[in-house]
Amino acid sequence: MAIRWSWASPRIALIPALTTTAVAFLGAILWTIWISFTRSRRFPEYTIDLSSWSRQYERLFNDSSWTTALGNILVLAIGNALAILFGFILAAMIEREKRGEGFFRTIFLYPLALSLIVTGIAWRWIFNPDLGVQNFLRGLGWESANFNWLADTRTAMYGIILASIWHGLGFYMALMLAGLKSINSEIWSAARLDGVSLWKLYTEIIIPMMKFTFLTCAILLSLGVVKTYDIVLAMTNGGPGTSTWTPAYFVVNSFGARGNIGYASAAAVIMLLMTAALFLPLMLVTAWQARRREGRTL
Amino acid sequence: MTVTIEATAFAADRVKVKRRRRRIRGSSIAILVFLTMCAAFVSVPLYVVIVTSFKTMDQIAQGQIFSLPTEWTLEPWRYAWSQTCAGMTCKGVSAGFWTSLKILFPSLLLSIGVSSVTGYALALWKINWAGTFLFILFLCAFVPFQIIMIPLVVLVSSLGIFGTVWAVALVHAILSMPLLTLIFRNFYKDIPDEIIKAAIMDCGSFWKIFLEIILPMSANIMIVVLILMITSVWNDYLIGLTFGGVGTQPMTVILANTVITSFGEVRYNVNMAAALLTAIPPLVVYFGLGKFFVEGITAGAIKG
Amino acid sequence: MPDVEFRNIVKRFGSLTVLEKLNLKIADGEFLVLLGPSGCGKTTLLNMLAGLQETSDGTIAIGNRDVTDLDPKDRGLAMVFQSYALYPTKTVKGNLLFGLSAQKLDKAEMQRRVEWASKLLQIDALLDRKPAQLSGGQRQRVAIGRALVKNVDVFLFDEPLSNLDAKLRTEMRLEIKRLHNELKKTIVFVTHDQIEAMTMATRIAVMNSGVIQQIGTPDEIYERPKNLFVASFIGSPAMNMVPATVVANGGTCVARHEPSGVPLHLSRYQFEHQPKTGQNVIAGMRPEHFSVGEMPEEACGAYFELPVRYTEKTGSDVTAFLESGGGLIAVRFDSKHYHVPAAGERLRVSYPADKFDLFDPKTEVRI
Repeated sequence: MAIRWSWASPRIALIPALTTTAVAFLGAILWTIWISFTRSRRFPEYTIDLSSWSRQYERLFNDSSWTTALGNILVLAIGNALAILFGFILAAMIEREKRGEGFFRTIFLYPLALSLIVTGIAWRWIFNPDLGVQNFLRGLGWESANFNWLADTRTAMYGIILASIWHGLGFYMALMLAGLKSINSEIWSAARLDGVSLWKLYTEIIIPMMKFTFLTCAILLSLGVVKTYDIVLAMTNGGPGTSTWTPAYFVVNSFGARGNIGYASAAAVIMLLMTAALFLPLMLVTAWQARRREGRTL
Repeated sequence: MTVTIEATAFAADRVKVKRRRRRIRGSSIAILVFLTMCAAFVSVPLYVVIVTSFKTMDQIAQGQIFSLPTEWTLEPWRYAWSQTCAGMTCKGVSAGFWTSLKILFPSLLLSIGVSSVTGYALALWKINWAGTFLFILFLCAFVPFQIIMIPLVVLVSSLGIFGTVWAVALVHAILSMPLLTLIFRNFYKDIPDEIIKAAIMDCGSFWKIFLEIILPMSANIMIVVLILMITSVWNDYLIGLTFGGVGTQPMTVILANTVITSFGEVRYNVNMAAALLTAIPPLVVYFGLGKFFVEGITAGAIKG
Repeated sequence: MPDVEFRNIVKRFGSLTVLEKLNLKIADGEFLVLLGPSGCGKTTLLNMLAGLQETSDGTIAIGNRDVTDLDPKDRGLAMVFQSYALYPTKTVKGNLLFGLSAQKLDKAEMQRRVEWASKLLQIDALLDRKPAQLSGGQRQRVAIGRALVKNVDVFLFDEPLSNLDAKLRTEMRLEIKRLHNELKKTIVFVTHDQIEAMTMATRIAVMNSGVIQQIGTPDEIYERPKNLFVASFIGSPAMNMVPATVVANGGTCVARHEPSGVPLHLSRYQFEHQPKTGQNVIAGMRPEHFSVGEMPEEACGAYFELPVRYTEKTGSDVTAFLESGGGLIAVRFDSKHYHVPAAGERLRVSYPADKFDLFDPKTEVRI
């Protein structure tokens, strides 16, 4: 039988994507998981010592910089949640006012076009103790102003959070704006006719209607937080000490500076597990939304 | 006739009255003032960076971070572009600029080429395992880079291109493939079924249909994806750091080396100019094609 | 010359069987209409012929070639789609030329065919326009033109007129019929519109739930429907179906209309199988065959005098709905010759003896 090209061509065209997925994603993940159970140091070793297969993980959780990193992403996640909150407030205001929508959207969103390295450098300069905001405020007469956050292990994370919020605010605002716009305009009219107060309208009608948007934002934020690396590097380079390390920073550091492949792999596997744990609810939300959408068209 | 005209005039009057009343509402003003304040807060860092880059070091040393330059100077920009030191080499960030361009083009070509064809095949041709594959791609789009970073280093080394711009471009293409494929697939699946059926009957060639029918219909999504890719490749740091070698590091890496790990006297104006030079290409793309940029990031976020 | 043949076609979607052992033969030069309600499998059948859907079992032959496993482009077919499916980024000419891309032709021949088809369809002035700049009727013509240039022997039409307004639809019906008469190609035309089927087809295949109910000329389908489905699907307003019981058999066959007790004289009816006395039947009476008042006794099959529930007037025709037992009997007549009865008025109507259709209530098959 002759080859049916209508059958074969699309399958041939998928070979690059299939290969990439199989080798660079699935294969690579399995490789990392495998290596995390070996004693690999600078070069990969492929034999697993069954008597101490979990040695990398044991070391990992006894490493204080790793526990700091884990704690830091929790702090980052809570801090960044403010970006969702502010994003919603801004979106609700823009949506309500309509005037200047394009202008405000452009302003709030431009930080997203900047690389996190540039973002970090800009904020590092603002936090500069001698020449930055602190100096400016002291010049104005507020002698006790303290904005030297990045130099203090207790406050360095807050500096990073501030910069991340600045960078990501517009993103959440854009998602919220899209969510608000998908709400049927008749609801606003109906609420106005019923004389519902603004506060009630938002807390009892609009926000519950947007719970999927909020959930999506929260999960995307968490997935982003797990991967936090560039901004830390640019603002504090992990310091002071190891106080602003994140898991991603930990992995790159173990691989690059310490040259320990097995150790880095074990940390990376934990990152994957965290992502997977966050990913599950996202999938459920997506599936739920898809079903709701289908229900609406039927 | 006259009745209708009067009626419309009356209606127009009423609209005007309504508008006028809206314009003086206090809550509107409060909202606009608040939004403007937020916009000012968001703009401050960019403002500070810009003014600093035009100041002399003498003025910076006085500590007035928000003030305008008393004497505007382009010297920091010139120095940042061609002379500032990143680690051991002192050639400015210009070298990184050209490297970033050299990385950008092959990675755009490779990732968009593969993803658009893959999305087209999955959306419009009957492949019974398409659903499964899309699901796997969906998972891959969220995998943190760190989990595949080390094996990719091994892989790229075995291809013999580690440390070249090709390695950086290839890794960018690999990493963006799942998300871009999903975006293309979501766009193509909205093309009416009958058009592809007609094309299959008329011509039947997978590639010819793609090139002659589908590709000309993809202008919008191409711009969206292009913007998404340009900003993400240009702004990347970690891939460039890991896979680029000496002399083939992209602009962000050069910038980071200049600012973060430099020794000796710090020239803040030069640092800010270098940061701005790095930020200009994505900012131009953003302010030029903002509408598509918004579409791109929301498509990347939600549909992914 | 190519005739089209479906042999034992089976189509399953998962565990759902849509078509079961379907056989159909379409002769060369025929205009066959696949007619049926939506979801009856007619479009699936057409798509399988085109090669756009796989068959689960069975073979499809065009001429002497088994095309079951061939690529769509290699089957020697052209198809016109419901939404026209014009390529939006190509001009009219580009659309026509792309229709030829599977055939290896030289430039002059392609040019000649485009000219021929565009003249035939009167779209030669539109060749440089994009589909978005065309009206619905013009798009339809381009879609047909894209099929015509291929110069194939079999044309497939998938409900091509359903997106047009009523006036254009009539126009395109004539146009397609004219093309068929001129070109003498085989046409397979899918529709759910019986008017399209009755006016254009040389033969109609009526389908329901994956089964071909009846295949025949429009007259056969109309005059001798094989079963209840075909009888009620064809004709507008729909055929009246009334229960009756056979009371006298032999030389003169008489049935009694159950609700009213009116006798139905069936002596002129051509039975496929003679019914037994006492057997229940369903008698079909087309609204348009009734006449108001009485008719000569030998021609009269039934005579009713029933109260009018309501009437509908459509231009020159009137349809009156008469109350009979629990149901309604629709009667259509010309309003020029009779006055329009008011609701409640008793109307006397007779039905000709040679126009009955009788069905078995259990098997739903024609008796």
